[in-house]
Amino acid sequence: MPVEVILPKVDMDMATGRISRWYVGEGATVKKGDLLFEIETDKAAMEIDAPASGTIRDISGKEGIDIPVGEAVAWIYAEGEATAAKPTQEAPARPIALNETAPAAAATANVPEVVSAKAVNATPSNGTRATPLARRLAAGAGLALDAIAGSGPKGRIMRRDVESAMTAPKVEVKAALWPDQIISRPPASSQPRPAPQLSAGAAPLNFAWLRQGEGRPIVLLHGFGADLNSWRPMLAAGPVDAPMLALDLPGHGGSPRQTPADLDAVAVDVEATLAALDVGPVLLVGHSFGGAVAATVAARGDADVRALALIAPAGLGPEINGAFLQGFVRAKSEASLMPWLRQLVVDEQVLSKPFVNATLAQAADTELRTAQADIADRFFADGTQTFDIRSLITGLRIPVRVIVGANDRIIPASQSQGLPGEVALHTFAATGHMPHVERREQVLKILLEMARA
Amino acid sequence: MDQAVRELSYAQAIQEAMAIAMETDERVFLMGEDIGVYGGAFQVTGDLVERFGADRVIDTPISELGGAGVAVGAAVTGLRPIFEFQFSDFATLAMEQIVNQAAKMRYMLGGAVSVPVVMRFPAGSGTGAAAQHSQSLEAWLGHVPGLKVIQPSTPYDAKGMLLAAVADPDPVMIFEHKLLYKTKGPVPEGYYTVPIGKAAIRREGRDLTIVATSIMVHKALDAAKTLEAEGIDVEVVDLRTIRPMDKETVIESVKKTSRLLCVYEGVKTLGVGAEVSAMIAESEAFDFLDAPIVRLGGAETPIPYNPELEKATVPQVPDILAAARSLATGSR
Repeated sequence: MPVEVILPKVDMDMATGRISRWYVGEGATVKKGDLLFEIETDKAAMEIDAPASGTIRDISGKEGIDIPVGEAVAWIYAEGEATAAKPTQEAPARPIALNETAPAAAATANVPEVVSAKAVNATPSNGTRATPLARRLAAGAGLALDAIAGSGPKGRIMRRDVESAMTAPKVEVKAALWPDQIISRPPASSQPRPAPQLSAGAAPLNFAWLRQGEGRPIVLLHGFGADLNSWRPMLAAGPVDAPMLALDLPGHGGSPRQTPADLDAVAVDVEATLAALDVGPVLLVGHSFGGAVAATVAARGDADVRALALIAPAGLGPEINGAFLQGFVRAKSEASLMPWLRQLVVDEQVLSKPFVNATLAQAADTELRTAQADIADRFFADGTQTFDIRSLITGLRIPVRVIVGANDRIIPASQSQGLPGEVALHTFAATGHMPHVERREQVLKILLEMARA
Repeated sequence: MDQAVRELSYAQAIQEAMAIAMETDERVFLMGEDIGVYGGAFQVTGDLVERFGADRVIDTPISELGGAGVAVGAAVTGLRPIFEFQFSDFATLAMEQIVNQAAKMRYMLGGAVSVPVVMRFPAGSGTGAAAQHSQSLEAWLGHVPGLKVIQPSTPYDAKGMLLAAVADPDPVMIFEHKLLYKTKGPVPEGYYTVPIGKAAIRREGRDLTIVATSIMVHKALDAAKTLEAEGIDVEVVDLRTIRPMDKETVIESVKKTSRLLCVYEGVKTLGVGAEVSAMIAESEAFDFLDAPIVRLGGAETPIPYNPELEKATVPQVPDILAAARSLATGSR
């Protein structure tokens, strides 16, 4: 009997949801726990893992359309299982509500033994199955357990489920984490900044509005080997009232798999994308390689960059961890990837399962990693940063802040020394190459301050 | 002073510890059945009778109760006896002396006497010695306040913990797994001690804690190697002492990994792993658990003679692999 993959209820008052992105395609072989797709509601984004191992078939949940909660979006067939085993469509689609009682499930006796039954059986709050650790983490983050879908046996909520919920939480909940600030938020009915509805052809790079809001947009450029999703953990760290636009750099994420000739070529693509989206004046933020791109864009002056934030930027000195670049690009399995990911951070606990899964999903894309190996060869040949952004920064007349981790093992923190006096330098102790992940609350606060200034 | 480190077997390390103890303290002597000219049932005492004479390496009659009584009495009078049982199973014959006398005397006499006796118990299965010569009874003695119960897993610890036991003012029971006697490892020359009551982290990891005792430490380390290749990073804690138990090391480890697997050869029910599990459930580590605690212990049966059945009654590496995988992947 194939296992049904449903659109889960990730939010208490959620009736429908959208799949923003499938990580696997029709016919793909998945293992239980592999990342399948990402759901976005108006408040939350959550990554959904495979409930069983097997082959994905009958993907009916298309990206970007509203799908009722509880509806089957795909099926997982065990090896050798005939596709005809799938029940016919007349089996009623059952909305899965967490406070629904068991008889509702009994009424659908024809429905195969489905994973979604766990959600039906779950009862609110005190009856919820959750590990002690999950309970403690959820309490600490102000998350209600009955709003979290459990992935463990019999729907037990585990650490990974709470962490997924924390990565893309409800805004109201997260506000509790930031008690020293009351953010006045327009009610949902007021007009947020509309997401530009341009055809993708006009913008050379893939992009996503990760948050909407009022005020100056914050444009985010990820680092080497990452993609626009790498900013999501930071956005979950606190209330965000500014619009956030994230781009995929060339050779990364959903952007064309090409190797740009130099930083100017990347900058041209970024500028064209910002122009196509008509974003107006922006705060430009770049991490690592994206930092070098951001500085280049700011220096060229074609885009309206009003402030620049560079997080662990490349291009401030010659040395970079060449072994990391090579090892990271080559790693295909969790076992070979984890040692390199650990190089990125001081506190390994921040390497959450969704983060690792997302990185693994990219690692499985051979064409993507091949393109990135080319980019590494071009920009970081022989463990050396072949470009210099110091002179670019020195000539800028906009506010510039550099944010680094003192214990960066990819690009030494010492390279951030000796910048012009008007450039602000934030150095976080006990932090590695990803301050926006390890010190997400503080970095987000800095960026929002800059956007409001 | 630098001490040379050699490879010694577990049995050689124990013999060396007893020799050093006798050289450095004239109150120390050995007792046991066939430990003199024969060299001990497992050849642990070897030729010590030739080096120290029959007055200090004493063959006793075949009466564990009598021998244990003499040892306890000698300890009360100020000597430091080391009493060897041929098989730990025969502790049952000496329970009166161990449980009612050695463990109680300090308390019942208001601290006026100490009972610094050391008893050595060759323990465990795997030698085809069947039901009456293969048991793991450490939890029996671990249940008795007044005793200290240790299970060294390496030659280094076997020597250092035996010397610590001789120096200890209270009765110390040493359970030596018979299959460990021939295993080798680095052992420094000369006198050193390994503290009683302190666990050792044999391998650091972040996904799962395996608390193991005695030979199970080695099986857990074997399993950890395989699991590492699968991306499961196992921390292996060698408990070393079951009374008094090093709660802090286990608690800290579980707080780090959020998952606990207890592996021990004694019968699962009411065994060492039961105590570790309950201790963790009562501790601050409870709020860090992300999965139910799992125990792998001996089967609820006397140890069979048939070698295949004998293996099947105690945890083996594939059992540890299966339990660790299901724990680490969240499927149990």
